[in-house]
Amino acid sequence: MATVEIKELRKSFGDVEALHGISFAISDGVFVALVGPSGCGKSTILRLIAGLEEITSGEVHIGDKVINEVEPKNRNIAMVFQNYALYPHLTVAQNMGFSLRLLKKSKPEIESAVQHAAEILGIDQLLDRLPKQLSGGQRQRVAMGRAIVRQPEVFLFDEPLSNLDAKLRVQMRAELKALHRRLGTTTIYVTHDQIEAMTMADIVVVMRDGNIEQVGAPLELYDSPVNQFVAGFIGSPAMNFFPVTTTQGSDEFVFSDGQSFSLPAHRELEGSYTIGLRPEHIRQGKGLQVEIEASEQTGSETLLQARLADQEMTILLRERFTAAPGEIHEFSVDPSMAKLFDTKSGARVGV
Amino acid sequence: MSAKARTRRNNALIDILLFLICFVLLTPLILLVANGFKTPAEMLVWPPTLFPKDPTLENFQKVFTETPLLRWIFNSLMFALLSTIAIVATSALAGYIIGKFPFRTINIIFVLFLTTAIIPFEVYMIPLYFQVKALGALNSIGGLLIGYLVMSFGIFLIRQNVIASIPDELLEAARIDGAGEFWIFWRVVLPLLKGPLAALAVLAFFQAWTTFAWPIIVLTRKTSFTIEVGLANFQSAYTVELSLLSAASAAVMVPSVLAFVLLRRHFVEGITASGMKE
Repeated sequence: MATVEIKELRKSFGDVEALHGISFAISDGVFVALVGPSGCGKSTILRLIAGLEEITSGEVHIGDKVINEVEPKNRNIAMVFQNYALYPHLTVAQNMGFSLRLLKKSKPEIESAVQHAAEILGIDQLLDRLPKQLSGGQRQRVAMGRAIVRQPEVFLFDEPLSNLDAKLRVQMRAELKALHRRLGTTTIYVTHDQIEAMTMADIVVVMRDGNIEQVGAPLELYDSPVNQFVAGFIGSPAMNFFPVTTTQGSDEFVFSDGQSFSLPAHRELEGSYTIGLRPEHIRQGKGLQVEIEASEQTGSETLLQARLADQEMTILLRERFTAAPGEIHEFSVDPSMAKLFDTKSGARVGV
Repeated sequence: MSAKARTRRNNALIDILLFLICFVLLTPLILLVANGFKTPAEMLVWPPTLFPKDPTLENFQKVFTETPLLRWIFNSLMFALLSTIAIVATSALAGYIIGKFPFRTINIIFVLFLTTAIIPFEVYMIPLYFQVKALGALNSIGGLLIGYLVMSFGIFLIRQNVIASIPDELLEAARIDGAGEFWIFWRVVLPLLKGPLAALAVLAFFQAWTTFAWPIIVLTRKTSFTIEVGLANFQSAYTVELSLLSAASAAVMVPSVLAFVLLRRHFVEGITASGMKE
C-alpha cells in the first residue's frame, strides 16, 4: 500500500503540451478515478505514473519516493490495459505468473500465488487455457489476476471495462469495487465513462484539456460542481444549460423567449449568465412552459426530449407521463437545485 | 434436366478440365523423371515416350560416380540453411525494431532497406564479386552467403506483422512485469512471430536453393558448386548431356519436393503473406 502524489506534472509530445502542470495527492488505499473526455490527458497521467512515458517536468511520488527516474518494473505498480494485453502464447496461469517468474520466485511460490489470485477472481478452472479461448469478461479477469499476483502498492487501470458489453460492465464494476475493498490497494482508474467513475471511486478527478477541473467525492461533484464543464460532464442524462439575463435587485432570471425563473439567492447579480437544470430535478408543476418533442417510457421513469427558449432539453420524470409531440406543458424546478454559471468563464456563481 | 443433375454434370466437366490442366502441368515433370531412366537412344525417339521401354539406372550411376552430385546437394543445403537462419534472424530483429521503436533515423534506414529491393542484383553483382574476391572468399560458402544474409522483403514482412499483430500494450505490460528488452524480444515477440517467420524461412530457403547467377560467378571449383551450378555444368558450349542432366535433375528434385511437402502450409502462408493476421 502506498500514497501517490503528483506535483506540477507536465508532459509534452513534441511541441504540444498534453498536461499543463497537474497536482493531486492520493491517500493510501483510496480508489481514485480520473475521468474526462478523450484527449484530456487522463491516460497520459497513468502512463507517466507507470513509467511508460518520460515525464517532461514535475514529480511523481509513490510512498515517500520520487519515482521519476525509476524503471517501470521497480515502481511496484501493476497495470491493467484496455485491451488486456495478455500474452497470447501463454496460458492463463503463465500469464498470471509472468512477473513472479521474472522475479525468479520458486515454482511452488508462483503456483500458490496464481492459485490464490485465481480463486479471488473465480477463474481457477481456466488456468490451463490460452487467452484466445476465453470470453471478454474472463480475459478481463485474467488481466486483473496478473495485476493482483504481483501484490503491488498501486493498481493502475486504463479503461479496463470499455471492451465489455453493457451488462458485463455493470457486473465487473461491482466486482472491481469488491476487489478493492478486499485488497485495500491504492487504485488509480482511468475512464471516460462518468458512471464508472461515480459508482466505483472514492475520489473522482475530472479533467479537461490537460488540466484538472475538479477533485472531489462523487456526490460532491454532482451536488456542487465548480464550473459548467463539470456540471455538464457529471450526471446522466446531462444537465440542461440555458442563457439567461438578470438585473440587479430582481430575483428573476429571464430566458431568451421571455419566460423567467426566480432565484432569490442571486438578487444582487446583473447581466448575462448560464443556468443549469438537471433533467431529474425538473418536476411537473406551474413554472416554465416547455414544448414536448418526444417521450420515452421505460416503465419506471419517463424521459422527455423537449424545447425551452429555442433550446433542446431533457427532462427525467420518476412518474409516468404521456404527452404528444408539439404539446406545451408546464414544469418547475426547486430554485435551490438550479446552478448558475458565469457565461464567459463557465465558473459557478456563488461558490 | 433437374438442377441436381445439372450441378453434377457441371462438376464432372470441371473435374475433367482440372484433370487435363494438371496433366499438362505435370507432363514435363514426368518426362524429366522418365528421361532419367532412359537409354540415350530412347531419349531421342520422337514422339517421346512417357514411360521408358527399357528402364536403366545407368544414368544415375554415372551421375553419382562421375560428378560430386551429393557434394553439390550438401553445398546447396548448407548454403540455403545458413542463409535462411541469417535472414530469419536479421529480419526478426530489424523488423521488430523498425516496427516498434520508430524514430526518424530508423525510418530512413528502413526506406534504404526497401530501396535495395528495387535495385536488380545484376547491377551490383560484379562489384560484390570483387569484394568477395578481395576477402579471399571465392569458392566458399562464406563468400556465397554474402549477398544472402539480409532480405529486405523479410524485414518488411516482419515489420508489417509486428505492427499488425503485436500491440504496444503487450510490450508495456511486459516491461511493467519486469522483463528486460531482450527478454521481451525472445519470450514475447518471437513466439508471436512464429507464423510469419516460418513463412519467411521457406521463402529464404527456396531463394537460396534456386539461386544461380551469384553462385556461378563466385564458385569456380567443381567441388564447391551448388546444385544449380552443377546442373548447368552438364550443358557445355557444344553438347548437352541430356540423359545425365535428366537423372541429376530428377535426383535433385527429391529434397525440394520433400521440403515442399513438409512446409507446404508455411509456403502458402509466405506467398499470401501480405494478408497478415491469423
